[in-house]
Amino acid sequence: MPSTKRYWQDLAQLDPSAEVVSRNANEFNAPLPIDQVLGDSTITGASTGRRDFLKFLGFSLSAATLAACETPVIKSIPYVTKPEDITPGVANWYASTYFDGDDFASVLVKTREGRPIMIKGNPRFGINRDPNLVNTSSINARINSSVVTLYDSERLQGPHKAGAASDWATADKAIAEGLAAAVASGKRAVLLSNTIISPSSKAAIAALSTKLGGKLEHVQYDTVSQAALTNANAKSFGQRMFPDYDLTQADVLVGIDADFLGGWGNATEYAWQYTSRRRPETVSAVRPMSRHWQFESRMSITGANADERIALKPSRLPLVALALYDAVAKGSGAAGTGAGSIDEHTDHAIQKCAEELLKAKGKSIVFSGSSDEGVQTVINGINALLGNYGTTIDVVNGTSFKQGDDAAVAQLVKDMNAGTVGALLIVGVNPAYSLPNAADFKEGLKKTALTVSFSGYADETASLCGWMVPDNHWLESWNDYSPKPGHYTTAQPTIRPLFDTRQWQESLLRWSGSTVNYHNFIQDNWRATMPTVAFTEVWNKGLHDGVHQAFTPVRTASAFAGDINAAAASARKSAEGAGAFELQLYTKDSIGNGLHANNPWLQEMPDPLTKVTWDNYVLMAPSDLLTTVGKKTFNDLYIGEQSPAYLLKVTVNGLTLELPAVPAPGMAPGAVAIALGYGRGENGERVGRAACLRNEDGTHAPVGKNAYVFSHWANGHLNYGAASATVEFTGNMYPLALTQTQMTDMDRHSVVKQTTFATWSEHKPHETYNHRHMLAVHADVNEDGVIDARDKVPTTEVDLWAEHPVAQVGHRWGMSIDLNGCIGCGACITACSIENNVPVVGKDEVRRSRDMHWLRLDRYYSSDMTHEKGKAEGKGKIERYLDMEVPSAQPKVVFMPVMCQHCNHAPCETVCPVAATTHSNEGLNQMAYNRCIGTRYCANNCPYKVRRFNWFNYVTEKFGQVNPAWDELGRMVLNPDVVVRSRGVIEKCSLCVQEIQATKLKAKKEGRPVRDGEVDCACESACGTGAIVFGDLNDPDSRISKLVKAERTYHALEEIGVQPNISYMAKVRNVEETEHHHA
Amino acid sequence: MQHEAAIREPLILGHRTYHDITNDIVGPIENKPAKGWFVLITISSLIAVYGIGCILYLISNGIGSWGLNKTVDWAWDITNFVWWVGIGHAGTLISAVLLLFRQRWRMAVNRSAEAMTIFAVIMAALFPVLHMGRVWMAYWVLPLPNQFGSLWVNFNSPLLWDVFAISTYFSVSVVFWYIGLIPDFATIRDRVVKPWQKKFYSVLAFGWTGNAKAWTRFEEVSLVLAGIATPLVFSVHSVVSFDFATSVVPGWHTTIFPPYFVSGAVFSGFAMVQTLLLIMRKVMKLEAYVTIKHIEYMNIVIIVTGSIVGVAYITELFISWYGGVEYESYAFINRATGPYWWSYWAMMTCNVISPQVFWVRSLRRNLTFTFFMSIIVNIGMWFERFVIIVTSLHRDYMPSAWTMFHPTWVDAGLFIGTLGIFSTLYLLFARYFPVLALNEVKSILKTSGESYKKEAEQQHHH
Repeated sequence: MPSTKRYWQDLAQLDPSAEVVSRNANEFNAPLPIDQVLGDSTITGASTGRRDFLKFLGFSLSAATLAACETPVIKSIPYVTKPEDITPGVANWYASTYFDGDDFASVLVKTREGRPIMIKGNPRFGINRDPNLVNTSSINARINSSVVTLYDSERLQGPHKAGAASDWATADKAIAEGLAAAVASGKRAVLLSNTIISPSSKAAIAALSTKLGGKLEHVQYDTVSQAALTNANAKSFGQRMFPDYDLTQADVLVGIDADFLGGWGNATEYAWQYTSRRRPETVSAVRPMSRHWQFESRMSITGANADERIALKPSRLPLVALALYDAVAKGSGAAGTGAGSIDEHTDHAIQKCAEELLKAKGKSIVFSGSSDEGVQTVINGINALLGNYGTTIDVVNGTSFKQGDDAAVAQLVKDMNAGTVGALLIVGVNPAYSLPNAADFKEGLKKTALTVSFSGYADETASLCGWMVPDNHWLESWNDYSPKPGHYTTAQPTIRPLFDTRQWQESLLRWSGSTVNYHNFIQDNWRATMPTVAFTEVWNKGLHDGVHQAFTPVRTASAFAGDINAAAASARKSAEGAGAFELQLYTKDSIGNGLHANNPWLQEMPDPLTKVTWDNYVLMAPSDLLTTVGKKTFNDLYIGEQSPAYLLKVTVNGLTLELPAVPAPGMAPGAVAIALGYGRGENGERVGRAACLRNEDGTHAPVGKNAYVFSHWANGHLNYGAASATVEFTGNMYPLALTQTQMTDMDRHSVVKQTTFATWSEHKPHETYNHRHMLAVHADVNEDGVIDARDKVPTTEVDLWAEHPVAQVGHRWGMSIDLNGCIGCGACITACSIENNVPVVGKDEVRRSRDMHWLRLDRYYSSDMTHEKGKAEGKGKIERYLDMEVPSAQPKVVFMPVMCQHCNHAPCETVCPVAATTHSNEGLNQMAYNRCIGTRYCANNCPYKVRRFNWFNYVTEKFGQVNPAWDELGRMVLNPDVVVRSRGVIEKCSLCVQEIQATKLKAKKEGRPVRDGEVDCACESACGTGAIVFGDLNDPDSRISKLVKAERTYHALEEIGVQPNISYMAKVRNVEETEHHHA
Repeated sequence: MQHEAAIREPLILGHRTYHDITNDIVGPIENKPAKGWFVLITISSLIAVYGIGCILYLISNGIGSWGLNKTVDWAWDITNFVWWVGIGHAGTLISAVLLLFRQRWRMAVNRSAEAMTIFAVIMAALFPVLHMGRVWMAYWVLPLPNQFGSLWVNFNSPLLWDVFAISTYFSVSVVFWYIGLIPDFATIRDRVVKPWQKKFYSVLAFGWTGNAKAWTRFEEVSLVLAGIATPLVFSVHSVVSFDFATSVVPGWHTTIFPPYFVSGAVFSGFAMVQTLLLIMRKVMKLEAYVTIKHIEYMNIVIIVTGSIVGVAYITELFISWYGGVEYESYAFINRATGPYWWSYWAMMTCNVISPQVFWVRSLRRNLTFTFFMSIIVNIGMWFERFVIIVTSLHRDYMPSAWTMFHPTWVDAGLFIGTLGIFSTLYLLFARYFPVLALNEVKSILKTSGESYKKEAEQQHHH
């Protein structure tokens, strides 16, 4: 504003006449000469004019308007009344139970501010834990990563009628009427479910059935059925059930086509039982290290762990059962079945296996995964001859698992098509996707008046049903389970239902006319079935612990009453009709039967053996694949970013699937295998995030192909194989995403150390299997008077660097990983991703080798070539190395979990120009994401290659389909204690530093030291076999302090001198021959 | 006056007077450039614009636009960086080391070699910056006072040493180059007539008067700067080699790297000087000043440094065998016989075998052949860096982490783009700056000029 430069203090100054001065003396002298002032031409000449006034007015007005605008509202509303058990920032853990028809585990659910964000096994209670281990419990990747599906925005958000949104009142009325009408018309009313092991769910079904005059039938359908086994048991022992196995008592284990550590039976229980007998340190004369034989076609993780593994075509496996029976029978003085020879190698193996079994009578188990009742009966016969019933196997007190009745399912589909089914309620299964005759099923659905699906998604089956009345997610549900007699577990909701969904049991209760909610119904049911004086106490404790042990059954022997000859005939028959290629269908350790296909963490979890993510494929023996595609060298089968897989056409009974081929060492020649559970949402059904991904053109494409089409009914059972398949090369290629493309360990003994039990027993680790790397030094170390090449010290003692002051001061965190304990299940990978908000990056990025897993599970196959062998054969180094890249046709396998090794002399730390990665005084190698500028020098200089770079911003729409952190709902699964890293920074394992800090804080507040096993490292707590042990190396009493002194302990790549805080324990195989150390 | 042996080939051909030299060098600046210049600058600036587009794409999308992966975290980015830095070595070697050794033939080539150095170092410096995941935080590598508390750079990191080495080298090179340009700018200033040109060149001439005192100081400053710059010739690439040599990666962790990198750098630098000079000599008609002898001298440097590089390669191979370290041994066998064997053999052929043909006199004096060889050497040296970086990383300690590296169009775009930016800058230099150190060339006219040498000889005979 320009100034007029005319100032006066009063009018007297302006007009200094005496009159004014005197007038001013009178305070109230009116009127003031305003007109005179305003009329002064000098004032009107001021350059602050009317327009300026308007400008200032306008400015003030708009400024006031702008200031009145609402600032963004941040909805961080504090609790007005704080709930008793929720403290912001402090996690709450609730005991619960996971059961989806296949996988069972007692679990703990971690919630933060009312959101479940993490699932781990219940370390104190449950059948899936080793009572001798601290802070671990066995679960698998499917269970711990199931938390993310809670926040799947593709879940059904309320009841739907014929695909259109409806409401519960309408649905309840219509369905109750429909059920009544169906019963009244004399047609069948059927509830088709997965195996139900919940007593209260069964009671709820019974309640509805009662309402319908007992007319509601319950048909149980296991997507991957074990009905042959349960039916065989019915015939052999008069009880149709899945036996209770006790691997802790077994000295010899024989698996015939049974992946009992992966997809067969209650693997979460078998896993810890199995490894409890695999640690050489705990061996005694009465409890020797178990011997594990595996006869199988496809290399499963069970086979990968076996001491002796014999690969055979699927059609040979029934013959193995027969031959083994004969050999055992011969040794037991019983009659054989007249089994013939298979081949010299196998005959010899069976003979040897039988001898070992006979030596371990009553202390062995023979498993079979066969879909043939005859084979299963023969297996029962073997176990009976060996006296295993009552010691290692209990069929009197069997489990409740695998109640599926294939015959009833087959009949149901027939009846539906015949029009005799009036009402069909479907829960927990997806027959329109998984049945071999899914087309018949779909046709039948149309002929059924009332079809109700409880599925949480509008999946293949639900989308065809008249009503979709979505069930709660299991984390929103109440339930109880009884996996074994006397053993009860509870499941409790950890969050209020996110959507307008209702537990299916509660729906049944509504339709039965009951108004009691399911929670009370379970309590009533417990009160009725478990009469006890202090019910409230039992219930509360059961709920708190997640487990209520009503009684412990005594192991009971049973007499075998099966017809071996008939069984043998059936088994022999099932071995017939083999073509050039035989197909076997299997379930992957990640995706399972397909129920979990919508889980991005599982899709991106590499298969433990093939390391493939995001696809299913044809597994073939490398030699077969070479012939099929007309190539010569193993290198032609390399699959990597620019080296796609060969696309094969697999034809079975006129049905064809085009799938990429993955060369699988360990596969029996002539066998091909395809994983089930893929190809969800083929017809555009929205089956959940990640099962079916959007293409660039907006269409949806399923991940993988549905291989259930190749399953079939055989002798009344669902059969997951085909005796004759043709395999042709299409001439096309298909990109596959592998997290590990190199197959062998290149004979590098400082990466993985392995030995045999015999060698281990000699207890000379440093001379044999665990030798130390030595460096010649210029000092007379050996005191022979001369300084020469013989003066050597271990490389670990030679150091250029000053020590970090971590020894003996405060904590020094470390981890021990037992390669014998690691069965390769991969639960640690997903647990780590969940705990640490590790992004899922999708197939395309994995294909570029940009997977972000902080913890990876390296798999090494053995090769026929070693340096020792090559030297003996006079092969040059170049040739040796080339040969070493090729795995053996039937290799030994070792799994090695690798995460940041937290080196005390970390090569990554010295090279970071901005000191973004530094060493903590507790021995941790830390990452300051905010300081990282992303030069990636640290990643290059990491000998273990564990550092991961954020190549892109993964929290963008581009990765939205796969990365839970993108969408609003999915983001709720993130761990608020761990930052989501931005583009351009390096990240890596922190040893769950957030948990370390939280535990330290807790201990400090309680005024005590941190207890061993108290820190909840995600991988450690996910590892039910106790292979991963985390602890304080400065605490002399900790488990880890003892483990690092063990003879098997070594540091990977010790000779580089980086001094890791992570140590490994050499793998010991229980094979007889000793291994000689080679320099 | 200093006399030069008659058998030495003259460095300035034909009969040239001082005025002729001024005309020859300043003429092109005063006159309209030839059509060829317009064609070249159009092409190169188009490529430069494409390169800048690629850079913007990279920055907006992330380093994932490159073909890098969890195992190979550096590839073309650092390959290009080291390659460009290497090229930037010849300039200072010519201007500083040859000055100290009183090599007169440097006068004709030092100006353009120094320009090349500066532009190459700018191109080189782009890559370490652009390869950062968070390029907007690039200034964090400087030890600046900050508001983050006591947060400081990590003086242990070779990358930080790089920052200092490159920035020092760049600033000294620029100063050295500019000091040398001052008298020449003054000459141009005194000749040009257009007002803007007058203004432009008088600012650049920095008040040069051309009196004896100014010349004395000029000589002294040049000598002092040469003294400062000479150790830099060796230090810069030594420091760059520390990025690799101080690491634990088999194939990188090698004590031979500093001398090997320095000779490699000089080798590639001279090759690039040849490439540029041979074109410029033709286009700007500088045949009288950049003679066959000059070319031959530089080819001799190429043989020497190429042979040093060859010896280094063979020494590496020998040590990998002799050292008996499993990983080291494999790294070199893998280089030669693994999936990237072709890059190793491209490197070996271009860098070790091909320069040896310069032992043949007629070939090292053949311009076409020299041009061809200069390209070959530069290809070879690019592969050398690619081999060192990618083949070492893609298969190191843990076989489980082994991968392959496949470049993307962004990788290629950035490399081609820097070639475009470099050429554009160089063309602008050739247009507006004196491409020869004309005043220095004048200083050797009487001793090394062809006609004067003949005159002297005749006088001698009389």
